[in-house]
This record gives sequence, structure tokens and C-alpha cells, in this order.
Amino acid sequence: MSTTAMITKGFYSTAYFIVLSLLFSASVYGQDASSIPTDEGIISQGRTLYNNNCAVCHAIERQLVGPALKNVHERQSVEWLKAFIINSQRVIQSGDQYAVNLYNQYNRTEMPAFDFSDDEVMSILAYIKDESAKEPVQAAASDTGDGSQAQAQTGTAISSGYITVILMALLIVLVLILIVLAVLISVLTKYIKQKTDLDEADEELVSQKVDFGKLVRSPGFVWFASFIFTAIVLKAVIDGLFSIGIQEGYAPAQPIAFSHKLHAGQYEIECQYCHTGVLKGKSANIPSANICMNCHSAIVKVGDSDQPSAEIQKIYDAIENNKPIEWIRVHNLPDLSYFNHAQHVAVGEIECQTCHGPIEEMEIVKQHSNLTMGWCIDCHRQTDVNSMGNAYYDKLVELHESKGKGPMKVADIGGLECAKCHY
Amino acid sequence: MLILKSSVSKLLFVAFILMIGCRAKDDFPGLEYAPNMYHSVPYEGLSQITDESSGKWLSNREDGKGEYFNSNPNNPHGMNLREPVDGTVKRNMSGYMPYRVHKDSVDLAARILKNPVEKSDEILSDGKQLYSVFCQACHGSQGKGDGKVGEVMLGVPAYNVGRVKDVPEGHIFHVITHGKGRMWPHGSQITIEERWKIVHYVQQLQQLD
Repeated sequence: MSTTAMITKGFYSTAYFIVLSLLFSASVYGQDASSIPTDEGIISQGRTLYNNNCAVCHAIERQLVGPALKNVHERQSVEWLKAFIINSQRVIQSGDQYAVNLYNQYNRTEMPAFDFSDDEVMSILAYIKDESAKEPVQAAASDTGDGSQAQAQTGTAISSGYITVILMALLIVLVLILIVLAVLISVLTKYIKQKTDLDEADEELVSQKVDFGKLVRSPGFVWFASFIFTAIVLKAVIDGLFSIGIQEGYAPAQPIAFSHKLHAGQYEIECQYCHTGVLKGKSANIPSANICMNCHSAIVKVGDSDQPSAEIQKIYDAIENNKPIEWIRVHNLPDLSYFNHAQHVAVGEIECQTCHGPIEEMEIVKQHSNLTMGWCIDCHRQTDVNSMGNAYYDKLVELHESKGKGPMKVADIGGLECAKCHY
Repeated sequence: MLILKSSVSKLLFVAFILMIGCRAKDDFPGLEYAPNMYHSVPYEGLSQITDESSGKWLSNREDGKGEYFNSNPNNPHGMNLREPVDGTVKRNMSGYMPYRVHKDSVDLAARILKNPVEKSDEILSDGKQLYSVFCQACHGSQGKGDGKVGEVMLGVPAYNVGRVKDVPEGHIFHVITHGKGRMWPHGSQITIEERWKIVHYVQQLQQLD
């Protein structure tokens, strides 16, 4: 051990002795706190240091990863705070009761050591003290934020409301016109009936009555109706037969109510973060619970709820009992055909949404495409092969161009061969 | 003639009702044509069917179980997937050996590790792509700790300020592999080579103002 290290160690142990003994003397607090500088320059230096190093885990008013720091100088002596900021683990290991309790209270999260000089620590404390003295402005600011948001919402509500009102008014006007016309007809008919000098044709017109029963029983109508009925039924039967073996629209309820709309849509987590196999293998893969835990170790609640979410609790149960979550497979390609994700996503550079639909808008995942052979073939016939900068294709492109058939499609390089998918 | 006509229409009507009901919807996957060509005989990694009587009506299996039953009784929880045997090393093109520095030894990693992947524009763009998939959600597109998930998760540091600005490549690699603080290990999702590519890109983000 070098001399400097020994001196430092000696210094620290003396420091802790002093700190520990000071902890029990309340009179020191006032004196200590007053030693925190109030100079504007130092406070602004402290602000920079605080924002760069502390703000990640601490806030003045709110508890984040670590405790809220408002009036932290009243909780412990400045010496203690300095020691804790510079190397919290050392204070905890020295057996200081307050530090140990703090450590345990915050899930044994280690606060990293910081290589600050004495002045730097003091400037941070100065900034925290200065901030603590200020009235909480955040609440007021967030209030106005909510207000403007509410206003914006009423704006859209009004415009959509307007449309409904206009439509309703139009409908009422139309109905009124219809009533007026009907009244006009009946009045006119009555008026004509009063006349006695009508000729035969007019007489017939006035006393004409529509006989619906007769119309319905007429052979023409019966034939027409049964034709329409049979056609509809036949169409449905044929459609139904064609839907056999197609699972388009299958949207099973999963053991955990996982929402792609929330994760992939709102939080913009890339598909590949969880479906890690998509660029490397046949299957995109379903993530195991440890991947859920990458975020949900810290995210326990959903939305504004105060209670831990029951759905997230299922992940913890799976981890604790080492029991995998039994997700239900949505896309069940028949065993008679082969499909490889890596081939399509890595080489073909197809977006996930091309086949899976707007996954980022789905609360429950639904099979979007019908996954029939015709559907595959259609795409293979229409898609150009991206051969740019890939030497593998050079000779194929040359050969293809020598026959002069336009751009090289997937179908031209074997995309329609039976044995590509069926073997 | 009339009787024939009416029986045909009755038949059609019954078929109509049946056909409407056979479309896939919600929990119902729909009917299958020739089901034993649809269901895998070998163990299928991602579709585990533990119900032994499933598909019994068309089964001609020798063990008397249902045609659809697809679950390996020798594996924990009857899973069809298995973790590799302890101590086995997956072969890879570049010949990387497994990373063995203990998860608590981040300082050791910071001292001894050197990035085996040579930096180039192509590697950086690979790194950026991988970063956008695996890191961006929390760390933000510019590494400022302002990703959409990071905002909810809290405690995500910016790369370009404070102590994180100066951490060496070995530290970054180790933290991706084993996690640190609130960040969980990502070694299972990202290969060693990919991690080193990300390291190159993260080092670029450390230099941002």
C-alpha cells in the first residue's frame, strides 16, 4: 500500500470517527448547515454538477430511484453528507445505522462513488439548499400543462360534436320535407276525388291501391327472392369452405394481458428487442421472462394506479418460481410448409408490419395476413430482389438480364420452387 | 321436384350456418383441412401442447396419445425448448470465447478489456442500428437518458456528462453484458460481437456536447 493510500485511509477513518460522534450532537446541525455557501456563483456551479450527476436518480421534491433531497442538510450533518456523496458504500460498510437503513429502504441500490472535491460537494449542497428554500413551482407548472391539454381535448370534442349536430339537423329537415309532401299528396287526392267529371284514366289513377300481398305471391317475385337467397347462401358456403385452414383473425387471449399497443406503439420499443431471433433464425421467438424484467424490475405500476399491477405480478411469479409463461402461439404455419424469418427480415429487409399488420396498434395480437400459399406466391412474384452491393447476386443478375425480362423478382431466383418451402 | 328443391335449400342453409361458425375469431383458431398435416410430429419449439388427449379423434400414434400432443416430458415444465448444457460454448464465425469476468467486477473489466472489433464506418452504422434496437428505448436516440421507457423507468444516466462520460470501453461492454444498478443484463439478447459494435457507437455518443 502506498503512503498516499495509507494517509487517505487514515484520513477517512478519522473522518468517520468524527462523523459518527457528531451524529449524536444536535447542536452541530445549525452550525453545519450555515457553512453551506449561499453565493450565486457557487449555486450555479452546483446546479450543473447536480444536473449532470445526481438528477438521474434524485429529485428535490419527489422520490425517484433515491430519496427526495429537499432539506437534506437538515437530516444529516454536512460532514456525513460529504462522506456519503463521495463514497456511500464506505459509509454503509462502516456500520453507520442511518446509512444502512437508507440502503435497505431503497432496495439495496448502490449509489455510485463520486470523485468530487470538497468545494464541488459544497456547491451541490448549496444548490440543493437553495432549491429546497424555493416554493414548489412544479405543481403550478404541471397544472397549466393539464389545463391546456384539457382545452385541446374540448376543441376536438366540439368539432366532432358539430358534425353530429349538423347531420341530425339535415335528417330532421329531410323528414319534415317528406311529411309535407305526403300531406300535399293526400290533400290533392281528396280534392280530385270531390270532382265528378273525371275521365277513366284519371279515375283509375286516383283509386289505385298497391296490393303488397299479391306482389309477394307473384311467381316472378318468388323466383327472384329464392334466387337471391340461394346465391347468398352459396356464396357464404363457398367462402366458409375457403376459410378452412386459414387462421386469419385468430386473436387468442394470452396468459398475461400484454399490449403491443403500449409497448411497441406508445413506448416505441423495437420489435427485435424482445423478438431477438428475427434476424438470426427461423423463428422470431417469444421473449423469456428475464427480458420482461429488463424494464419491469423497475416498472411495477401501470398508468396512474397506486397499486402494483396484477399483470406485471405474473412476471414476478414466473421469475420467482422459475416457471415459464405459457404464451399462446398466434401464427401457426402448417407443419407442411417451411418459413424462415431471418431470410425475409435480414436479407429481404421486409418490415414486420408487412405481414403482421399494424402490431403497434394492437391491444391483443391478431393474425393479420391469411398465410396461404397464394399469399406467399403473390408477394414472391411482385417483389424485386435487392441485389445492390451483394456479390452473391452478381451472376444471377447477369444471367437474368441476358434474358431481358425486366427487374429480377423473387420468383426468378427460385421463389416459386416447391421444395423451397415444402420438403 | 318441389321436395328436392326444399331439401337442397335446407341442406344449403345448414351448411351456411356451419360455415359461418368455422372462421377463426378470438380464441378459436378455425377449422383445419387435413389436421395431421398441420400439426408437427417432432417437438415444435414454440408450440407446446400439454393436453395428452388433444386431437385424439384422429390419432394413430403408437403411444395412444392425441395427434396434437406436443410436449417433451423429459424437459422441465414439459417444454420443447431446452437451455444449452452448462459449459457448452456456441460456435461463432469470429471465434469469440465466452465472457467470463464476474458480474461484480466492473472495474476489472474496465481495466483489462479491449474492443476486438475494429472501428469503421460500417461497424459504427451496425452499432447504431443495434443501439436503436436494444438501448434507445431507455437511453434515448442521442444517449441523453431520455428514451420513452427511460422516462418511466427513471435513473437512466446521460452518456455525455459526469462520470459516465469517461468510462472506458471495457466498462460499457461489461454493463451491457451484466447490467448495473437498475439496468438488467442484456447478455442473453445481444451477442459478444454485437455488444462490441454497440460499444463503438456508445463511445461516439459519449463525445457529444
